[in-house]
Amino acid sequence: MTLALLGQGLAIGLVNGALYILTALGLTLIYGILHIVNFAHGEIYMLGAMLIYVLFVALQWPLPLAFAAIILLAVAAGLAVERGIFRGLRGQWMQLLVASVGISLIIQSLSWIAFGAQEKNVPSVLPGVLIIGGVRMPLERLAAAGVALVLVTGLYWLVYRTRIGLAMRAIEEDEETARMLGVNSDRVAAIAVALGFVLAALGGAFVAPIYSLNPGMGLEAILMSFIIIIIGGLGSITGTVLAGLLIGMLQSIGALILGAEAAHVLVFAAMIAVLVLRPQGLLGRA
Amino acid sequence: MSAVLTVQDISMRFGGLAALSEVSFEVGEGELTALVGPNGAGKSTLFNIIAGVFPPTAGRIELAGADVTGKSSHALARLGVARTFQLVTLFPDMTVEENVVQGLHRHTRLALFGGIFNTASYRADVARTTERARAVLALLGIEAHRNERAAELPLGIAKLLTVAIALATEPKLLLLDEPAAGLSLEESNRMMDLISGEVRKRCTVLLVEHNMRIVGRYCDRAVVLQFGRKIYDGRADGLVHDQAVVDAYLGVAEMA
Amino acid sequence: MKRFSVPLLLAVLVVLPFLAKPYALHVAIVVLFSVTYTAALYAVLRMGYLSLGHAGFIALGAYACVILSVRLGVSPWLGIPAGGLVAGLAAWGLGALTLRLRGIYFSLAVFAFGEIVTAFFRAFDWFGGPAGIPGVPRPSFFGTPLASHFAFYWLVLAVAVLGIGLLYRLQFTRFGATLLTLKSADSEKLAESVGIPAARYKTAAFVVSCAVTGCMGAVHAQYLLFVSPQVFTFLTSTDLLIYAMVGGLASFWGPILGAGVLTALGEQLFSVGYWKTLVYAAILMIVILVLPGGLIDLPRRLRARARAAIAAPEVR
Repeated sequence: MTLALLGQGLAIGLVNGALYILTALGLTLIYGILHIVNFAHGEIYMLGAMLIYVLFVALQWPLPLAFAAIILLAVAAGLAVERGIFRGLRGQWMQLLVASVGISLIIQSLSWIAFGAQEKNVPSVLPGVLIIGGVRMPLERLAAAGVALVLVTGLYWLVYRTRIGLAMRAIEEDEETARMLGVNSDRVAAIAVALGFVLAALGGAFVAPIYSLNPGMGLEAILMSFIIIIIGGLGSITGTVLAGLLIGMLQSIGALILGAEAAHVLVFAAMIAVLVLRPQGLLGRA
Repeated sequence: MSAVLTVQDISMRFGGLAALSEVSFEVGEGELTALVGPNGAGKSTLFNIIAGVFPPTAGRIELAGADVTGKSSHALARLGVARTFQLVTLFPDMTVEENVVQGLHRHTRLALFGGIFNTASYRADVARTTERARAVLALLGIEAHRNERAAELPLGIAKLLTVAIALATEPKLLLLDEPAAGLSLEESNRMMDLISGEVRKRCTVLLVEHNMRIVGRYCDRAVVLQFGRKIYDGRADGLVHDQAVVDAYLGVAEMA
Repeated sequence: MKRFSVPLLLAVLVVLPFLAKPYALHVAIVVLFSVTYTAALYAVLRMGYLSLGHAGFIALGAYACVILSVRLGVSPWLGIPAGGLVAGLAAWGLGALTLRLRGIYFSLAVFAFGEIVTAFFRAFDWFGGPAGIPGVPRPSFFGTPLASHFAFYWLVLAVAVLGIGLLYRLQFTRFGATLLTLKSADSEKLAESVGIPAARYKTAAFVVSCAVTGCMGAVHAQYLLFVSPQVFTFLTSTDLLIYAMVGGLASFWGPILGAGVLTALGEQLFSVGYWKTLVYAAILMIVILVLPGGLIDLPRRLRARARAAIAAPEVR
């Protein structure tokens, strides 16, 4: 294998990794703050992508308007789900998990009915390829990777430099004490879930031009997100970033050497290996 | 009198912190011994080491002469060590009686074949086990609660149940972690009467306690720790007269 | 009431094939599959372990039987216990790696396992690839294969009764009671301190659950006369979970009730998979929010409400 091919593989791997980060960020946030595994995450991601198709392609809305609508809908959905379902089940992890599975199944089946099985395509907003030193990089993917960078930075700023972020971290550490100190944990939980939904939806929206869309893409997304956050460490943003990049590169190089299917299995095996050897992930707390 | 438990030069370091430094003592058969000390003295750490929760950094633990240093709690259970936990730990969804039946685990056969086919010998075995469980409950005076769900018990009864479960294993050495903590005066007297009466007849008891009144009144011997070191090892009623112990507890109201 | 309902149920199941039309028999067979899988899943659920990948064990059992009988010419009768054996061995291996993990970590590990199994069978042509393997032979009874619904029903019933019977006995023996002590990290600590070898118990329960699942999976493949990676998917695993939760987790019969009711409903009403999933998921959400004890808890709740209504009549 030539150096050029390896270089191409690594570069694509990094960019794909950034896309994975974009996919997994919402899940990390909700788990990190509330210890809730939001199985519906993948379906929100799928809806974000589907809505770009519906609003931008089918209904010809201007792109900024479509994005605004998606964000608003995600916030509304997140608030509704937190208030109506998550809040009453806090503390019962099995019921919470199954409830979020239920939500994901409802969204998925409604989407199959509404959108049909025909694959949809969103035309490229940024066509073209960037060529640096023999490495070919589709601009669309680079742009999405850039968005991932922006969102990660934004999330860091929110969690570590704002009061609401401080409240979130307090709740994650010890909800009871936080409440005694005046933190309105219900409101913070609602914000966290809404934000997680927005991140998921945006993740889907930004990758819409890159992949072909169908209602089944949510399952792949949630799978990847789980793999990323388990390897990176449940609840660690830095872990998600690191794991995303690593998995992106692992899959890319693996596909070059072993083929795409085998690379897929390799990634799963990596997750099980982490669960067995270091369950808290690379950067999670023991 | 032979030693059931020998603690020899036990040291424990957590990173840079020396929680225990070369603690040695023996617990003789049938002696009701208290492990005492102010908060942070290291008694919980020592207790957990003896109970097999984690191994010591250095030193040796012997059970009736055999080296058991570093053995897991599961292995120690098979060698005849039983314990209670500082926070009441029970099997919440099972009844009081079922809790004690689980405590009898070491003394019952699995009888999987008999269980699946519900043979007569299996049924007889189950009846025997139930009898034994009830006997243990009666010993501690909580037989009347036997069909109540463990999660719904008041603290006093729940603590007695934890002792019952540990006692059901028929241990040689019973480790009790602050058995009277959180109990009213009446309940704690009842608990300590039982421990210094029926329970100590059946096994050797080492308990962690920081209530001097209880130690002085019910225990035979006391080992006092301060800052991870042993500062007293002798008769329980000698505690209040020992200068080192008095100094360690200076200002603590329980001495009265 | 309880003492009579099981023998009554068995009597109904034995008489059914003589009275019912082939389509009703088909529904009964599918219900028996679901009920067995769900009862097996429950054995793991009640230990506090949520398996999100039980379909993987159904698939392992199915494929093991199919490979043996189609590719290697082994008798279909042997395929059934072989399915159980393969699934049981896989559970043993997976359990050794993952049962020490709690809660969500275990669930995700089993989820990943289920996906790996599907991906594995899809990847290799010898295992049929994406199209699967057709022409699965059914066992023969004294020379004649069990070709009709009527004939095959007895096989399914036999395996279901044996499997569920085994699970039932295991739950209500000493072994099953001890499993309850492993439900949470704290009680497991206590269990170990009285000498209960937690890891061994958990593994045993997991292996039995998956072996029963695998046996039935083999029978399932023989019923369908083919197997493919699309048959037993993550949606199958979630279906089983829904049945268990809707039925109610507090008793052995809860998940069985849920499986029976929902499967029968599903077979009758829905031809398209999406609608079925939608309705199942909606029922699940309603149960979780309004009837957390599941269907099996309904009589008790209604009685409690009636009692409360009688005791405290409305004040004007």
